[in-house]
Amino acid sequence: MTKKVFRSIFIVASAMLLICLVVIVGVLYGYFTSIQKKQLETQTVLVAQGIEKEGLPYFDGLEFDNYRLTWVAADGTVLYDSEADAKTMENHAQREEIQEALKTGTGESERTSSTFSENTLYRAQRLSDGTVIRMSVTHYTVVKLILGMLQPICILLVAAIILSAVLASRLSKRIVEPLNALDLDRPLENDAYAELSPLLLRIEHQQQHINNQMDKLRQKQDEFSAVIGNMSEGLILLNEQGVILSINPAAAKLFGTSMDCIGRDMLMVDRCLAMQELIRMAQSGKHSEKIMKLRGGEHQVNASPVMSDGKLTGICIFAFDITEKERAEKQRREFSANVSHELKTPLQSIMGSSELIENGLVKAEDMPRFIGHIRFEASRLMTLIDDIIRLSQLDEGGDMPRESVDLKVLAEEVANELAEEAMAKNIKLAVCGDGAMINGVRRLLYEIIYNLCNNAIKYNVENGRVDVIVSSTADGVTLTVADTGIGIPPEHQSRVFERFYRVDKSHSKETGGTGLGLSIVKHAAQYHGAKIELKSNIGEGTNICLRFPQK
Amino acid sequence: MRSRFDEQLAILNKELILMGASCEEAIALAAKALLTGDGELASKVVLMDDDIDEKEHNIESMCLKLFLQQQPVACDLRQISAALKMITDMERIGDQAADIAEIIGYLGGRTGGDCNHIGEMASATIKMVTESVDAFVKRDVELAKAVIDYDDVVDDLFDKVKYSLISIIGEKPNEGEYAIDLLMIAKYFERIGDHATNIAEWVVFSVTGVHKGEKGL
Repeated sequence: MTKKVFRSIFIVASAMLLICLVVIVGVLYGYFTSIQKKQLETQTVLVAQGIEKEGLPYFDGLEFDNYRLTWVAADGTVLYDSEADAKTMENHAQREEIQEALKTGTGESERTSSTFSENTLYRAQRLSDGTVIRMSVTHYTVVKLILGMLQPICILLVAAIILSAVLASRLSKRIVEPLNALDLDRPLENDAYAELSPLLLRIEHQQQHINNQMDKLRQKQDEFSAVIGNMSEGLILLNEQGVILSINPAAAKLFGTSMDCIGRDMLMVDRCLAMQELIRMAQSGKHSEKIMKLRGGEHQVNASPVMSDGKLTGICIFAFDITEKERAEKQRREFSANVSHELKTPLQSIMGSSELIENGLVKAEDMPRFIGHIRFEASRLMTLIDDIIRLSQLDEGGDMPRESVDLKVLAEEVANELAEEAMAKNIKLAVCGDGAMINGVRRLLYEIIYNLCNNAIKYNVENGRVDVIVSSTADGVTLTVADTGIGIPPEHQSRVFERFYRVDKSHSKETGGTGLGLSIVKHAAQYHGAKIELKSNIGEGTNICLRFPQK
Repeated sequence: MRSRFDEQLAILNKELILMGASCEEAIALAAKALLTGDGELASKVVLMDDDIDEKEHNIESMCLKLFLQQQPVACDLRQISAALKMITDMERIGDQAADIAEIIGYLGGRTGGDCNHIGEMASATIKMVTESVDAFVKRDVELAKAVIDYDDVVDDLFDKVKYSLISIIGEKPNEGEYAIDLLMIAKYFERIGDHATNIAEWVVFSVTGVHKGEKGL
């Protein structure tokens, strides 16, 4: 900026200087030359008159400073010269001014010296005797004049440079100052040059645009971090060398590290061989997954390469909990094992007995016992299949006819039904509480109470007690079956409602049962929207409480 | 120049962690093989020992090259010399894990479960090795000191194992060979604990410049 302003000012100043010089020198030179010419003319006339009167002796008295005087005869021979010896001078007949004077009476001419440094004006006049008197005066040419002025011109130029520099710097400062003071955050509020307003307007638009974009970006970023931060799965992003770029809180917890591991090698966080293998696979561009034990249980860890233009740019590690999945898997396996076992045992008995009969190995008197055995096992199988059918009916859902049922009355019915079995173990089975009406499926409610009481008797000690308590509160109806039996160990309590699940793995025949009772209770209770609470202490008894919501 | 050196130090650090991880894996596998009597796992440990030996060799030449080319001083010197010492202990851990695996082969499918404390001892030793490597990774002097103190626990467990083996021999004299094998295994575990202690001591040295409570450099 300063440079440009300086150059302009300097060029203008120099040009003006040059033009002034040329004009002034040109005009003055012309003026002085014309004055000199006139003086020369007057002098020549005077000298000519002097010579006409006095002849040659006239020269003796003459004293010329600037003028040179030459007297030339009509044939061109120099008769006298004020500055040189006349005898040595050449013939002047050919000179322009003399020829002119010989012809017209007066002559004039101008000649520049061979060095261009001097200019000589000549004036000649013919005298009455035919001779010619010539006067000349010499002055410097324009070139010489200008050369002589070189020093002051140089000084002027230097002065111009300095002045231009000072002016330029001050000017550019003055111009730039308002520009520097522009508030680019609020471009439209500036009061600078009018010429700038299109630019400022443009800046304003662009700024708005950028702000919008930034806001959107920030919003996206926030959304992203909110999603990443709140998800329960672990997510880690690595660069291609395995340095952590980002890690979400879940992953930090799973790998037992904190957020400040960002920027460190993944090795520092988890160095187990499985993880090294995962990263190596991802680095070679392949997806891989492994089951790893992290803090908080079994996790599946996936590592995928992040490719961009066919080049590896990063690695994404994703870890999610599969404890639940594993558990479900285990349950399913156990279920199939149980169901086949339960179905197979009675059939095996039937097969064995009937084979013995078929081969005639059974004595006639033993026959009824064997046939009774077959019938017993068949009926056991029947009960089991009945239970399974009932469960699958419950699974199906489907609408069953609801009616108003008094739980207490129902419980008393069950108590009558089971009285015989209770007597066998000398167990006191008591129903107490108030009548409580609920709207439900009679058959299912009967099933619930029957199965609970049946279990309470089956897993009871000799001379024990079973209490069925029905009570009605503002929140709903509660049915509690409490026994003084063997109890359920804590580790089994969460699983006794699973199908075929048995605390006693040996599936002892003494207690009988199908392993489906509590499962039916659970589904039937669910059908009625009831909550089941189980409290049990080993050796003290079990207390199962069903809370039916008030309809 | 310095940035190149830093890069080399980072690689050295990484290699050490990898070697430590291999040792952890080897001893964990050996312990698992001992408790399950799985001969296949045991032979895997022997294979891992070769890998650990190779890693030791690589790190050793890396350290020597660094000494020659960079002529490290102060904390860099401590780090590299500690690394050089640590790999010796790690390599010994790998060897002893392989030795344990070899003895498991002689047990003929029997597990170490007959002796009450040997499983406990194995997990205590694994904990020591894991934590000593952790202390190195995190440059955690406190953790390193905890590892050093924990060695007493492993030593006590060794005594318990010894007494329970003596009682086994006393009760069933024909179990003598089995008991002696288990005693060897227990001794190896005890030695591994000592090596983990050494590693932890070198971690303390590389961070503080003080080795085993001596006056520092």
